[in-house]
Amino acid sequence: MAIVTISTSNSRPPPINEATLIGWMRMHLFSSPLNSILTILTTYIIYLTVSGVWVWGVVDAIWIADTRRECFDINISGACWAGVSAWMENIFYGRYPREEIWRIDFGLFLLFLWMAPLWMPRVRGKVIIGMTTVFLYPFLAGYLFSGGDKGIFMSVMVSAAIVGIIANTLNATLGVLADRSLSNFVNNKLGFGNAPEEKQQKVFLIFLAVCFVLAYIWQSGWQAEIVSWTKWGGLFLTLVISGIGIASALPGGIILAMGRRSKLPVIRVLSTAFIELFRSVPLITVLFMATTMFPLFMPEGVVLNKLVQVIIAVCLFNACYMAETVRAGLQAIPKGQAEGAHTIGLGYWGTMGLIVMPQALKHMIPNIVGSFMGLLKDTTLVSIIGLFDILGMLRSISRDTPWLGLHKEPLVFGAMLFFIICFAMSKYSRHLEAKLSTGHKV
Amino acid sequence: MKITTLLTSVAAVAVMVLTGGTSVYAESTLDIVKKRGHLRCQVGQPSPGYYNLDADGNWYGLDVATCRAVAAAIFGDANKVEIQSVSSQMRFTALANGESDLLSRTATWTLSRDTQLGLDFLQPNFYDGQGFTVRKDSGITSALQLKGAKVCVLTGTTTELNLADYSRANNLNISAVTFEDFNVRDETYLNGGCDSTTGDKSSMAGNLAAFPVPSDHIILPETLSKEPLAPAVRHGDSQWRDVVAWSVFAMINAEELGISSSNVDDMRANSDNVSVRRMLGVEGNLEKGLGLSKDWAYNIIKLVGNYGENYEAYMGHGKLGIGIDRAGSANALWTNGGLMYSPPMR
Repeated sequence: MAIVTISTSNSRPPPINEATLIGWMRMHLFSSPLNSILTILTTYIIYLTVSGVWVWGVVDAIWIADTRRECFDINISGACWAGVSAWMENIFYGRYPREEIWRIDFGLFLLFLWMAPLWMPRVRGKVIIGMTTVFLYPFLAGYLFSGGDKGIFMSVMVSAAIVGIIANTLNATLGVLADRSLSNFVNNKLGFGNAPEEKQQKVFLIFLAVCFVLAYIWQSGWQAEIVSWTKWGGLFLTLVISGIGIASALPGGIILAMGRRSKLPVIRVLSTAFIELFRSVPLITVLFMATTMFPLFMPEGVVLNKLVQVIIAVCLFNACYMAETVRAGLQAIPKGQAEGAHTIGLGYWGTMGLIVMPQALKHMIPNIVGSFMGLLKDTTLVSIIGLFDILGMLRSISRDTPWLGLHKEPLVFGAMLFFIICFAMSKYSRHLEAKLSTGHKV
Repeated sequence: MKITTLLTSVAAVAVMVLTGGTSVYAESTLDIVKKRGHLRCQVGQPSPGYYNLDADGNWYGLDVATCRAVAAAIFGDANKVEIQSVSSQMRFTALANGESDLLSRTATWTLSRDTQLGLDFLQPNFYDGQGFTVRKDSGITSALQLKGAKVCVLTGTTTELNLADYSRANNLNISAVTFEDFNVRDETYLNGGCDSTTGDKSSMAGNLAAFPVPSDHIILPETLSKEPLAPAVRHGDSQWRDVVAWSVFAMINAEELGISSSNVDDMRANSDNVSVRRMLGVEGNLEKGLGLSKDWAYNIIKLVGNYGENYEAYMGHGKLGIGIDRAGSANALWTNGGLMYSPPMR
C-alpha cells in the first residue's frame, strides 16, 4: 500500500540563520562566548584602522595648497594630497616635455586600438593581430616616444606599423559590421571574389604592399621632435620597461624551456646554464652589472643608452623565470599527448605548437600572470640606478622644496595605482581562465 | 645593500685597473663636450637644496647651478646640459668610465677619495658639517649632554661613523638607530622613537623647516665633522679641470665684485673697475688658456647668477630655498669672515 498525497505539502520556512541577518550573525559570529569576544575585538580593530585612515586621508585631508607649510597651517594632522596632485604629470609622464605629452597618450591609444579586436567576436585573423602587436607596434610606439631622425630601418618599420594599424582597424570594423575579413572584402571589390584562396592571398599581399609604399612616402614627409630617453619617467617608464619585459618574457621563456628539454646536448646545456645563472642572482645585481660593468667592455668613448641596458637585463632575467614556469607546464602534460601527436605524423614543431604547448600554457595562466605582476613591481628597482620611474618620482616629491618631507601621501597614492593595475591583470587572468575553461570547475 | 656595495667596489677597482687611474680618453674632455653639443653633469638622487626636481620636471639647486654655469661658460647657453642622476654607490664609477663629464653633487672632499679614485676635487661650493637636532623641551643645549641618548642616523654614510667616533671620544655611550631614508628617520624622531637626529647641518636645517612645528626643535651648536662639498672631475685632464674650477671661481668672484645677473649688462658697458672689465671680457684675454669664448664669465653671471644669488635661491630664504642662514657661516664670502674665496682673476 502506498501513501499518496494529492497536493504538495506547504514548504517550510528556511532556517532562521539563512533568512535574516541577525540569524546569520548569531550563527557565524556569536555562536559561542569565545567567538563573540573575538568578533567584538576584531570589529574594534577594524574600526580603529579604517577610521584612522579615513580621518587622515579624507576628513582632515587638504586637497588644494601651494606648499606643505600651507597644508600644515590648515590642518596639521591631515594628509596633504595637494603635493601629489601638483606632481601628477611627473608621476605619470616623468620629465617628458609637457607640450609633447600627447604623444604618450596617443601611443597608449594606438595600443588599445591595436589590441581591442582581440576581444571582439567575429573578427578574423586574431593570431596575426597578436603577432603584429608584439612585432610591429613597439617600433611605431618607440618612434612616437623618442622621435628624431628615423633612418632606413625605422622608416620601414614605422611604415609597416602604420599599414598594420590601418589594416587591423578596417579588418575589425568589417568583422564586427559585416562578419567578413579585410582580405575577403578587398578581393571582392577588385573582382577576385571567386578566385582560389591562394590567389586571393596574393592579391591581398599586393594590396598591403601598395599601402606600404604609400605609407612610406607619407611618413618620409614628417619627423617627430626628438625626446631624449633621459626625460622618460614616471608610470610611463615603468610601463615601457615592464611592457617590453612582459612581451619578450613569454616567447623567450618558451624557447628556453624547450631548449632545456631538448635532446641535443649543446642546446640543453646552454639553456640550463643560462637559466641557472640568471635565476641565481638578484635582479638588482643584474641591473648593476648591466649599467656599470657592461660599459667597461665597450670601446673607448662609447656611452650606451642606460635604458636599453636596463631593458635587456629585465628581459633576460624574466625570460629565465618564465622558462621554468613554462617547463613546469610542459612536465604536467602526459607523455601520451606527444606520442599521440607522433602517431598522426606530426613532427617536433607540430607536436609542440599544436598539441603540447597550448595545453601547457593554458594550465600555467595563473603562474604566468603572477610572474608578470612580479615583473611590473620589480621594475621599480630601476629607481635605485637613477632612472626616474614611478617610484623614483614618488620619492622625489619629499625632496622638492615646497613639499619637503611629504613622503607618506605619494607612497599611498603609488600603492593605490599599483593595486589598480595588478588587480586588473589578476581579473583578466581569471577571465582568460574561465574563457579557456581550464581547471576543474566546482 | 651589501651586494651592491661589494659590486660597486668591484666595479671601481675594475675601472682603475682598466684605466690605470687616469683619464679614459686621449682627447680632452672639453673638445668632447664641445663636439657633443651638451655637457653631461652628474648629480645624485634628489636632495633638498643641492639638486631637486620641481613639479614640471626641471632640475634646480645649488649643485645644478654649477652644472649650468659650466654649460654657460662653454656654450653660452645654460640649458645645454644633461643632468644625470646617479646613486651614490655608482657616482665615482660613472665619472671614471666617462658616462659623466663632471660630478657636481654632495661629495665630501677627502684625501683618500682625491688620491685613490682617479679624480680631482675642485673648489668647494658648500661647507657643511655634522650636527644634532633635539626637541627644545628636552632642555638639551649641548651635544655633550646626550649621554646614553638614542640618536637617529642614516646608515652607510660617514655620518654614522662620525657619530660613533664622537660618542667614544666624549664617553657618551650613544646608541644609534639607523635608517635608509631621511623621511623615515625624521618620522621616527618626531614620533619619539629617538631623542635626537644627526646629519649634515644644512640638510637638517632643511628638514627641520619642514617639520609640523619647526620652532619645537633646535640644532645644537657642536659640529662633529668637516664636510667640504666640492665638484670633481677625472684625474689627468688639466684643461677641463681649469674650466670647471674657474667657472665656480667666477661665480664667487662676481659676488665679491658686486656683479649679479641683474646688473651684469650695465657693468660690462659702464664699469671703470679694471677687475670687472677683465673678468667680463672687455679688457685682456683671460679666456685664452681656458679655451673658451671671450664672454664666458659674462655668460655664467648673466644666465646663472653669482654665488650669493644662487645660495639665496636654493639654500637661503628664496622661494625655493631651504632657509639656512649664510651670515657667520663658512659659506659667507671671505670678506664677511667666511671661506668663499676666489683667487684673483687676472
